Amino acid sequence: MSSLLPLLAVAVPALAAPLIYLARSRPTIREGLTLAAAVATLAVVWLGVRAPDPLVTPLGSVAGVTFALRADAAGLLFALLAATLWVVTSVYSIGYLRTVGEMNQSRYFAAFAASIAATMGVAFASNLFTLFVFYELLTLATYPLVVHAGTPEAYRAGRTYVAYTLGGGVAVLAGIVLVAVLAGGTAFAPGGMAALATADPTLARVAFALLVVGFGVKTALVPLHGWLPAAMVAPTPVSGLLHAVAVVKSGVFALARTVLYTFGPETTWALDLGVPLAVAAAATMLGAGLVGLRQDNLKRGLAYSTIGQLSYIALGLAVATPLAVFGAFLHVVAHAFMKITLFFVVGVIYAETGEKYVSDVAGIGRRLPATMVAFAVAAAGLVGFPLVAGFISKFHLVLGAAERPVLLFVAVYLVAGLLKLLYFWPIVYVAFFGERDDDSAASRHAFASPRATDGGYPGATSWECPALGREASPFLLVPVLVTAGGAVLLGVVPTALPFWALAEAAVAEVFG
Amino acid sequence: MTTAVLLTHVGLAVAAAALVAATGPVSYVLGGLPAAVGIGLLLDRVSALFVVLVAVAGAGFYLAVREGRTGPGDALWLLLVAGLTGVVVTADVFNLYVFLEISGLAAYALVAGRAGVDRAIAALRYLLVGTVGATLYLLGVAYAYVATGTLTMANLGPALAAAGHSSTLVVAAYVLIALGLGVKLALFPLHGWKPPAYATAPRDVAALLATLGSTVAGYALVRLTFDVFGVEFLQAVPGVRLGLIAAGAAGVLAGGYLTLRQDGLRRLLSYSSILQFGLVMLALGVATPAAVTGAILLLLANAVAKGGLFVAAGHAERAVGRSLDDLAGVGREAPLFAASVAVTFASLVGLPPTVGFAGKWYVAVGAVAAGSWGAATVVLVSTLVSLTYAGRVVERLYLAAPAPEPGGAGDVATDGGKPPDGPSRRRVTAVVGVVAVALVVLGLGSTAVGEWVAPVVEGWA
Repeated sequence: MSSLLPLLAVAVPALAAPLIYLARSRPTIREGLTLAAAVATLAVVWLGVRAPDPLVTPLGSVAGVTFALRADAAGLLFALLAATLWVVTSVYSIGYLRTVGEMNQSRYFAAFAASIAATMGVAFASNLFTLFVFYELLTLATYPLVVHAGTPEAYRAGRTYVAYTLGGGVAVLAGIVLVAVLAGGTAFAPGGMAALATADPTLARVAFALLVVGFGVKTALVPLHGWLPAAMVAPTPVSGLLHAVAVVKSGVFALARTVLYTFGPETTWALDLGVPLAVAAAATMLGAGLVGLRQDNLKRGLAYSTIGQLSYIALGLAVATPLAVFGAFLHVVAHAFMKITLFFVVGVIYAETGEKYVSDVAGIGRRLPATMVAFAVAAAGLVGFPLVAGFISKFHLVLGAAERPVLLFVAVYLVAGLLKLLYFWPIVYVAFFGERDDDSAASRHAFASPRATDGGYPGATSWECPALGREASPFLLVPVLVTAGGAVLLGVVPTALPFWALAEAAVAEVFG
Repeated sequence: MTTAVLLTHVGLAVAAAALVAATGPVSYVLGGLPAAVGIGLLLDRVSALFVVLVAVAGAGFYLAVREGRTGPGDALWLLLVAGLTGVVVTADVFNLYVFLEISGLAAYALVAGRAGVDRAIAALRYLLVGTVGATLYLLGVAYAYVATGTLTMANLGPALAAAGHSSTLVVAAYVLIALGLGVKLALFPLHGWKPPAYATAPRDVAALLATLGSTVAGYALVRLTFDVFGVEFLQAVPGVRLGLIAAGAAGVLAGGYLTLRQDGLRRLLSYSSILQFGLVMLALGVATPAAVTGAILLLLANAVAKGGLFVAAGHAERAVGRSLDDLAGVGREAPLFAASVAVTFASLVGLPPTVGFAGKWYVAVGAVAAGSWGAATVVLVSTLVSLTYAGRVVERLYLAAPAPEPGGAGDVATDGGKPPDGPSRRRVTAVVGVVAVALVVLGLGSTAVGEWVAPVVEGWA
């Protein structure tokens, strides 16, 4: 059904970006605009979710290739996720930037809105070509956020970021050209394009490899992951929404479009492409799990955790059984809610105390009780404890992996879960049982050597216990509790939010 | 007076294009002489695009950014526009030489400009190299004449086929013609004249030449390769085809490398043209209808983008300075100007939905469909190289903090001294803005452009 709604989902944040920039001398208007745009985007996506048929906006053609947006189940799942979390992140950003006193806040909010616009485009792209356009725009829109601090380190990280992602973009473009020539078009078809199943197998494999390498950059598959830890120099809300949700999920979402909607699960396995992709994902899970153990810097540790978690999804897509794909879609959502909570908490710690390292936050549970409980809940979810979102999605992923004859991938999921436990346990333990300025084992990271402390804000030699609800600005605290609550809700009543139904619809569409 | 002539020219160009759209190719022989000895003119769907481009650029830059209007200067400007139009519409390979020389002479004089030793030297170099190029072209025409006894494009095609496509005379004719036009195109390694000429020429002249100079030579090469020599010639002599692809690849790689090393804005833009024309050569070597369509789009895209960027560079030189570093903070002070420059660079890089992307897409698809994997790879690599140099400029516009002003001179804001002459900031912003919009509109309309030239291009290939 033709409708302007998908375009509107892109246009609302896209138009908000220049307006936010123009309102730069008036912080209140600027923040109001951000919030209004976020709510409006969510409303538009919600209308799309309620629509009975997928809505399509044709946008003409460039160089003979059509350019169109189409809100199908998979796209709506991703768009709804990004739009929901944008609202929460906007509130959080306001609190964070005010508390930390960041410079260039207008540029920050404008680039943030532009990034969301690009993410919406990635979600609703109806063919590889449109997807590629928004995928590249996302890189450009997030670049100012990575180099936000303006320090030489930030610029170095920005270069790394752009080199990786745009380099991957060229591989994607090459893959798209090949697909266009092989299949005579690039439009997504649930279950795969028929023409690719009969195309020259060597060229089809090359096209698949190019697309996977290109999209693998944003999915942070090892060895294409180097940009993600570097990008952690960005302000924490950026790391939370963009580098744990929007950017990396566009990579994995594009991977899903490649495996499920371009080649199709059957062709992927018929061409023997499922196993190599699965091995790459499995290696990434284990490698990132091991390296993550040894990070004392909170954000870098979370970055490695993200790398590992994305490969959970990539492995689910590579396995390509209905249950595994269902689990992969659910994990896109579950991981987003849990990881954004973790980043928000790390941001609260930095905003309130100035600390960035695990070894410097011993005993922080006394200073930020509610915040750290949220951290523990989200961490438990990522490890895979029941009653939190992560359990449900991992359950399906493991069951789906068991449908393939090789049980290796089931084992990898379980070992990776163990590594996650080993990664989160020291942080939670130190936070609740450690003491500040204490050198005993209880106050140090179990696996990582302490980095030179940067001292944090002066004067705090022991943590004070604040009154209930007064531990941080409500702009900071409420988003943390909302996302943590969302993760629990998804764990207890997984069908409560539309994500479950959308994932079911997408799987039904792909597997027929 | 000049304004009236140029505007009339635009009107005539558009009317002629409309006529072509309505009735098909239009031809005319001056004085009614027989075509074999007369001066024949031909306008078809491909040349109509370039006639309109020449007319609009000639009038647009004159109205918007021309400085110091004098009788002799304006006469040269008109002569340049006339010569370039002639190159586009001529149906005779010898007359093409004549028009090439007319436009060349006008260009040399305009580059020398009103004053300055640097300009005089750059213009002299331009003149020497340009004359060598034109002479090589003439030599090639002579070989073709010896082989066939005709100079009319329409008769040359069958006559060359009759003479044997792989005969030494015909191959030598093509190689000399391609070399001669290659000098005008500033293909690597024949590019030495271009950066100094474009970097020192008066600002308005640089913008006009960057738009039209090499573009029209590129059009001429497309026309001669496909309309006169034909695809059968390229198929019969694989060495020539390989040579075109090799020249294109060398141009892309060397042009890209040299572009990355530039600190001056105008020199960076000149070297970027070497990369862009390398892509055009690559497309000629691939020689499928899609690739030729891509070549035409790339010529148009580069012309429009370079025109806007040279106007922008001229303004930036006056307002802040010549080097890239001087651009720091312009994004904050002149947001519309900076955004337009950024979009224009996006087209040079080939980011969708700009026309630069459309051109590269056609070439890449053509190369893959023809199995020219090397050419396809070079097109993709060129994107990466272009991203790097464009990224340097855009990053400075938006993210770099302005360096502390030595002695407070050279600020955009009034610094109390004599205001520099030349077009106002508002006017320059308007030009660059129009260029940015045009690139996006052409990109969104690239399917239509592809369909517009399809009857001609598919007749060739």
